Amino acid sequence: MEAQKVDMFIMANGKFFESFEIANIRDRMIEANDSKWAQVSSLQFKDPTTILIVSILAGNFGIDRFMIGDTGLGIGKLLTCGGLGIWTIIDWFMIQPATREKNTIKIRQHLR
Amino acid sequence: MTPARLYSILFLACLAGHVWFQYNRMATSQGAKTPEVCMFKQLTDLPCPACGTTRSVAHLHQGNLQLAWLSNPFGFLVLTIMYVTPLWIMVDRVKGSHTLWTAYQKMEAELKKASWAIPLVLLVLLNWSWNIYKGL
Repeated sequence: MEAQKVDMFIMANGKFFESFEIANIRDRMIEANDSKWAQVSSLQFKDPTTILIVSILAGNFGIDRFMIGDTGLGIGKLLTCGGLGIWTIIDWFMIQPATREKNTIKIRQHLR
Repeated sequence: MTPARLYSILFLACLAGHVWFQYNRMATSQGAKTPEVCMFKQLTDLPCPACGTTRSVAHLHQGNLQLAWLSNPFGFLVLTIMYVTPLWIMVDRVKGSHTLWTAYQKMEAELKKASWAIPLVLLVLLNWSWNIYKGL
């Protein structure tokens, strides 16, 4: 893919990934076929800030984990009152990195 | 999610569950009050869908199925998970297999489908309404 297009993509979507992953994602995108551009540019990523807000407001019910696709962990939080409240608090700090990790996995799957 | 990470999380969660249950049992037998762990209840004074689960598990340990159901049906699921999961992890470790991880992945994939997700969400909402009605 064209480096300019990739850089514009990174500028627009960089917040969805961990900063240390961005260089790798950029390299992979540049190496990837142009035919993948349409697919990659239309991908929907989860916004870490939105998920954090959900985690603060409704993390006790596991809704934050459900939203990022961690269904099993979401059920665990739901059945245990947010892990007796402790998991709820831990996820206030862990949910944003977890969201970025999910976004990274998603884009990598489409760049294969 | 790698198998090792999943097994660590599940093992720690089950261990925490057993510790919490034993602490709760000891405190209750001495007539002491246990801390309120439900954030939702602390903020709104209303129970969450899982309130009453510890009591339900306690009733199940005493063989009171009806009281366990009335406290919170979640207790049945939580008790099963608390005992089956550590055993399953041990079997996988001994055999060098990842059957629990495979089953977990399949369960996640199935539950994401609308045919499972919608009825389960409705059941959770129903249980929650019942908790509020019971005044837990």
